[in-house]
Amino acid sequence: MAWRSRLCCVGRRNLSIFSSPSPSNWTKVVSDAEKIVGYPTSFMSLRCLLSDELSNVAMHVRKLVGTKHPLLNTARGFVYDSRNNLQMRGLVVLLMSKAAGPSSSTSDPIHDSMVSGIYPSQRNLAEITELIHTAFLVHRGIVNLKEWTNSDGPLKDMQFGNKMAVLSGDFLLANACTGLAQLNNTKVVELISSAIGDVVQGIYYDGSSSAEEGGLTVASWEDQTFLSHGALLAKSCQAAMELAKHSTEAQSLAFQYGKHLALGHKVNSDLQPFTKSGSEPAVFSLDSAPVVFHKQIVGPERWRHQLQQAQNMARQIDYTKLWGLIKMERGVSQALDLCSYHGNKALEAMKSFPPSEARSALENMACAVTKF
Amino acid sequence: MSVIRHRNRYPYPSQRITCCSIHSDAKLKDPFSLVQNDLQSLYEDIKKELFVSKAELKSLCDYYFDGKGKAFRPMIVVLMARACNVHSNKEGVLLPAQRSIAMISEMIHTASLVHDDVIDDSDRRRGKHTINQVWGERKAILAGDFILSVASMALARIGNNAVVSVLSQVIEDLVRGEFMQLGSKENENERFKHYLEKTFKKTASLIANSCKAVSILVNSDPEVHEIAYQYGRNVGIAFQLVDDVLDFTSCAKHLGKPSAADLKLGLATGPVLFACQQFPELHSMIMRRFSTDGDVDRAWHYVLKSDGVEQTNYLAQRYCQEAIRQISRLRPSTERDALIRLTEMVLSRDK
Repeated sequence: MAWRSRLCCVGRRNLSIFSSPSPSNWTKVVSDAEKIVGYPTSFMSLRCLLSDELSNVAMHVRKLVGTKHPLLNTARGFVYDSRNNLQMRGLVVLLMSKAAGPSSSTSDPIHDSMVSGIYPSQRNLAEITELIHTAFLVHRGIVNLKEWTNSDGPLKDMQFGNKMAVLSGDFLLANACTGLAQLNNTKVVELISSAIGDVVQGIYYDGSSSAEEGGLTVASWEDQTFLSHGALLAKSCQAAMELAKHSTEAQSLAFQYGKHLALGHKVNSDLQPFTKSGSEPAVFSLDSAPVVFHKQIVGPERWRHQLQQAQNMARQIDYTKLWGLIKMERGVSQALDLCSYHGNKALEAMKSFPPSEARSALENMACAVTKF
Repeated sequence: MSVIRHRNRYPYPSQRITCCSIHSDAKLKDPFSLVQNDLQSLYEDIKKELFVSKAELKSLCDYYFDGKGKAFRPMIVVLMARACNVHSNKEGVLLPAQRSIAMISEMIHTASLVHDDVIDDSDRRRGKHTINQVWGERKAILAGDFILSVASMALARIGNNAVVSVLSQVIEDLVRGEFMQLGSKENENERFKHYLEKTFKKTASLIANSCKAVSILVNSDPEVHEIAYQYGRNVGIAFQLVDDVLDFTSCAKHLGKPSAADLKLGLATGPVLFACQQFPELHSMIMRRFSTDGDVDRAWHYVLKSDGVEQTNYLAQRYCQEAIRQISRLRPSTERDALIRLTEMVLSRDK
């Protein structure tokens, strides 16, 4: 009974989410979902955060205050920025675990070990997923020293910042590795290791193609975005099913959900600068979904021309002008279509799971990525 | 810990070794040629594992697998595998999974080198520019991460949980060892302990645990695993001690990297720590990590004036003796004896 009334409640909340166009949809859906898995926001291993190694880094990072090393912002994000603190990936893994329920094999000795419908190994996996994600946030912020000019500040600070970033990223990855080993499932180790390789491939060329006129096609953009933003979540969801010995069908559906949710989420955040009504457009990435669609529509020739048009005297891009040019074509609406496509695909993947509050929460998240 | 006492304790008396050397020197194959067949296509196979469609990332990953490395780790791993196989009555064949461990050990080693070069801001390694020097720090770190992920996948495909857990420990040790290098200890005794622990984590853990992994794959007896592990641990520490000596004694060209590199990085290794017992002036330099102008030169001279080099070499010998004592507990085989001779090579190497 209690279960049913809670589900009702989720349903009503669901409605209010759909009717509200507020951009905080996502935040709300996520924080609602967190209550279902029985844990507050932070699953990131306390062991890891309280270790001598990371407190050592924290001490050193203080020396970076006042410099421009990106590690400082990443570190600040853990403490202040609620968007980073939401740990969305770990949450999805936990919800997926709960939605799929207990192991289907009848003679299951570990059945009793479930806590609010989730196996301990699945909780560890959720934590590992977050560790890997965070490790790459840190490693992405490594600075190329040769590109650093003296006007940007002392090179020594950057060297030191790099050192800290390499070490702390490596430390998080190493903890993920030992955590994986403790799951005692070599299939899961292989799957998550391959996701680490995917993320590397995905972010290796990050930003390097944006300046060139041709840039990415929509198809290669999708491939690349899957690697950088989708693979870890997709494979973690699949691994959560493997840990509970669910069928290959269930594993594949979980993979699909993770993949499409992540892609939908990425397109949604790429669209933010183009859908906010009235306000001045912020700076946007030339590799973001609407721009990639736009480039494909206008072709390389016109795109180069438009880039020149949008440049000011100092040869810097005037984003307001470029924004206007992009809004005139169908790139934004095509990106909106792509966003709904991924949201719907994620919803579809959840259909075969038995109804539960965890499933509803996952569905709410899939819906939320299509709202603006 | 006297050498002679330990020799007497060998379960397989040393006359066997003597007997070999008296009767047929031909039978005494050098460790490299023994594993030549097993390791022939090692680098080619590693490059196949490192499959990635993007050309530039691929060339970064392949960069150090150019066949010019010593393949020291794969050699020990293969010899240990074969020695354990003979010990377990399964001679003749090297298990495919054991060969995978040899590849994985070289991959983990290389991934950590790539990251170390960024951390230390090095521009040369093995006689060529470092990856960070050529492609920048950001891509170097990603390449290292990629090599590690591929090693981890290959490890998982072996399908043995114990093996996965043994080699994951290595990855953790490597990072913890790197963290240990950040700090200096005030107290001299603690400082030495700290140095040896760091040496184990940064160098010996990989060798010890790879040796353990190949033993697990053929034998279920924990005592055999321990022999393999202890051999690797002791040889690994000796290897690094000699490396630290060479940083003072070998000329830059020979080593493929600049000498006194450790001092320049602010690191006090074995020879400095021993020298500090004779020349307490070194203490304050160690504490400030040789950061004042002239510190590196001054420390260098103190070390050469002291018996720090001899003491460190002597310590390395003791670790090798312990490695021999351990490995001698295995049943005799050509490979086991090669592992014994390998300790001499570790001690006598000059590059």
